Amino acid sequence: MEKKMYWSINRREVRRYLGYGNKDADEMVNRLIEDSICQLEEVVYPKATYQVYPLKCGNDHWLDLTAFSVQSKNLTRNLSGCEEVILFAATLGIQADQLIGKISRKSMSQAVVMQAVAAAMIEAYCDSWQDKLQEIFREKGKYLRPRFSPGYGDFPLKFQEPFLQALNCPKKIGLTMTDTLLLVPSKSVTAVIGISKTDDKCHKKGCEECQKKDCFFRRDS
Amino acid sequence: MKTWKERLGKEWLFWDGGMGTILQEKGLKAGELPETWNINHADIIRSLHKRYLEAGADIINTNTFGANRLKYKENGPYSLKSIIESGISLAKQAREETGRSDAFIALDIGPTGKLLKPMGDMEFEDAYEIFKEIIIIGKEAGADLVLIETMSDTYEMKAAVLAAKENSDLPVVATMIFGENKKLLTGADPAAVVALLEGLSVDALGINCGLGPVQMKEIVGELLEYASIPVVVNPNAGLPRREGEKTVFDVAPEEFAQVMGEIAGMGVSVLGGCCGTTPAHIQKLRKVCQDKPFIPVKKKNITMVSSYSHAVRIGKEPVIIGERINPTGKKKLKEALRTNDIDYILNEGFVQEEKGAHILDVNVGLPEIDEPVMMKNVITELQAVLDLPLQIDTSNVEAMERAMRCYNGKPMINSVNGKKEVMDAVFPLVKKYGGVVVGLALDEHGIPETAEGRIKIAEKIYAEAEKYGIERKDIVIDALAMTISSDHTSATVTLETLKKIRDDYHGNTILGVSNISFGLPRREYINAAFYIMAMQNGLSCAIMNPNSEEMMRAYHSYLALAGMDEQCSRYIDVYGGQDSIQKGPLHSSKEKVTLSTCIEKGLKERSGEATRYLIGEKDPLSIIDEELIPALDRVGKGFEKGTIFLPQLLMSAEAAKAAFDVLKQYMEQSGTVQEKKGKIILATVKGDIHDIGKNIVKVLLENYSYDVIDLGKDVPPEKIVQTALQQDVKLVGLSALMTTTVVNMEETIKQLHKEKPDTKIVVGGAVLTEEYAKAIGADCYAKDAMATVHYAQSVL
Repeated sequence: MEKKMYWSINRREVRRYLGYGNKDADEMVNRLIEDSICQLEEVVYPKATYQVYPLKCGNDHWLDLTAFSVQSKNLTRNLSGCEEVILFAATLGIQADQLIGKISRKSMSQAVVMQAVAAAMIEAYCDSWQDKLQEIFREKGKYLRPRFSPGYGDFPLKFQEPFLQALNCPKKIGLTMTDTLLLVPSKSVTAVIGISKTDDKCHKKGCEECQKKDCFFRRDS
Repeated sequence: MKTWKERLGKEWLFWDGGMGTILQEKGLKAGELPETWNINHADIIRSLHKRYLEAGADIINTNTFGANRLKYKENGPYSLKSIIESGISLAKQAREETGRSDAFIALDIGPTGKLLKPMGDMEFEDAYEIFKEIIIIGKEAGADLVLIETMSDTYEMKAAVLAAKENSDLPVVATMIFGENKKLLTGADPAAVVALLEGLSVDALGINCGLGPVQMKEIVGELLEYASIPVVVNPNAGLPRREGEKTVFDVAPEEFAQVMGEIAGMGVSVLGGCCGTTPAHIQKLRKVCQDKPFIPVKKKNITMVSSYSHAVRIGKEPVIIGERINPTGKKKLKEALRTNDIDYILNEGFVQEEKGAHILDVNVGLPEIDEPVMMKNVITELQAVLDLPLQIDTSNVEAMERAMRCYNGKPMINSVNGKKEVMDAVFPLVKKYGGVVVGLALDEHGIPETAEGRIKIAEKIYAEAEKYGIERKDIVIDALAMTISSDHTSATVTLETLKKIRDDYHGNTILGVSNISFGLPRREYINAAFYIMAMQNGLSCAIMNPNSEEMMRAYHSYLALAGMDEQCSRYIDVYGGQDSIQKGPLHSSKEKVTLSTCIEKGLKERSGEATRYLIGEKDPLSIIDEELIPALDRVGKGFEKGTIFLPQLLMSAEAAKAAFDVLKQYMEQSGTVQEKKGKIILATVKGDIHDIGKNIVKVLLENYSYDVIDLGKDVPPEKIVQTALQQDVKLVGLSALMTTTVVNMEETIKQLHKEKPDTKIVVGGAVLTEEYAKAIGADCYAKDAMATVHYAQSVL
């Protein structure tokens, strides 16, 4: 069973999503954060799946990830030196959406906090998977790159579709999408994780890599 | 040869095993559609069917699991019709070639891969249409039955079952995929699944995929505990395990068959396999099971209603049905229904849930509203945020049917009575959609004055229901509580009726308890006493106000006294430690806090009190202008400067709302009117299902006395334009989260500008910027909720 939780929710990250930047919140808000973590942990049932594929790099930033081919400068940079990729998908499950939906009818202040907590929670869940996968691949002398998702930089969002299909996400983990390419359940992640033979630590995470420098949520803003 | 009906539930039947996993071994690529093999690799599919038939499968599934119009599009390389027809034809050929004319061909239908509204973007009726198309093709091509399998959502399952039932007379088998937490991905437990599927009158129900036989055992046990129809079990060959880069299922045929033998002994009727199982698994399975004595299906006399997540059992412990969503005698609810104030109605639901209601009664009947439309709307909204089963309370048959169709579960229906025409109208609906129906003990001749008279009508209702195949367990008799103020013996007649239904008919009963005290002072005294007497005489369900302390005390005390509350633990949970609570913090909160402070600090609980205090000094309008608004402005400024953050801004807004509520009540009593500042439409655009940003804006605009018309999420442009025209709205706020939905925002703006040029449009959302907003023609870009408020102030 996937339950119970082996993540630690990064409170600073939650506050950043709420617009606090690096500042601390007052006691009432911090209490709301803790309460939201408890309530969410009670109901969520996170699931993840992945598949390893060979990677071929072509000219003009074309990448063949086996399940689909894509032209993307940013992804090419992220995957430089990799010969394989992991297609990874994870979701907190629909219960998180249901709870946030219900709370937003009762108290919007709690709903925004819970929304931020859920966002941090899916990240923490993905991180715990990334650690687990890193362990598996380290034994084979391989190293993982940071997650890179459709919608980051010039990696188009439309790749959600082949992504979900290749991993059979609706059946395996209950992850679907709308006609407009929004993931449902909303607290879900799809990501490409490069596998390389060198321990290349200098790669940054998605946020710093993003070109939208004026973003309100940017980690260093 | 015996028919399906003659065999199902009377003897062992064996289903075939895995299809997709075997095709993968034979070279099916990731992302390749397995059903195309019906055309491109017909030999492989036919020979697999043959191997299953030779292994002893009595039912084989066509290779059509994912065959639907979403995957096989109209102009695609393969037509849906040819895929399904070839799938059935291959199964038929295999049956003929193996001489297994006794075997059945099941049209295999899997989930669409999309989530239904409100969580996803697919309409229930669109899902229905997708399934309908498959079923019509399959029926015409000669399938013997329909298998709807691997469903993880009860709502999608309901759409598929209705499509099968309304478009064919083929038998329908429905199996769902459970997780190790013994629930569906969308939350339902086994009891809720049984309630829904039995209600929809499927021929057999069960579980498939997801788990191996070992992990399924407990869930199968629960299904069998509740189901009165045959149960099907089609497990995987164990849990998936990763071997290098491959996923394998590695429970061998012998081990699989051995556990399945144990499962057969639990009382299951049909056994087979799913992912990872092979003809060898089915062969062993058959060998182990076929000589075991078949266990006939047992009728369980269990009454259940359900929501998308759980079932509520009636007849075991007293059930509380919250009566607050019913406009009779409730001025505010009437007003909410007239103005389509869904938030008010939802809040009535939340409060009753918190107070301990198990089921909520929903009655929206008002002469001046379109009841079928309103009923469907309210049911849809309630079931989106509340997981309590609902009681559809209406005498309007059209409203009843619409509500039953869109309801995600097995509802309670209120009501029928002994009148022939009412039973003629309601029972067919109950038979079709499922439900537990309230039968009022009255008829054409009125309400009988004696218990015997009421029992006679109950008998008539039971008998008539039986003609439709509706069992007695799905009828709950309303023994009718009539006020004792006009007939001092009326309570005894009611109690006697309850007792007789329990003792002589083993039936369930219901009462609108508070009717008993109509016309008397301190009604709650009588109500609570009568409630306890009624429970003692067998009352199964009380329609009552769970906000009434007296009634809840009666309920909890009764449970404790009637031996239904082990170690009185529930009683202690509710009432233990209350004394100390009442003394502590309440007093310390008496120290005076000004209304401004309450708002600036976001003290929702105390701002009402502070407002009441101020009412003694100032008139309400001055309180708004001199205290409330300036405090809100200060908070807003702090937010813009970055000293106050979003959660605090919203807490302040909620504190202000609490103050407004107090003022509103006071003004209504004194006849003062506060002018609303103007109407604003808010909507999350079509295709976008993220509405948190829009909801934040709504809270703030309402604080500033704007009349917000909230159209919700995923709203088509036409609806926004139409509402703006109808109500002459001068400002529209639109939100969109993603680049993929901004196109629909642009379309909405275009239509609005064309149809209603004097309306201004303000937009916001994650991907939007000042320039982007300008480029799509918006009048204003609001970077946050306060910016929207400022724009509203400048244009309205």
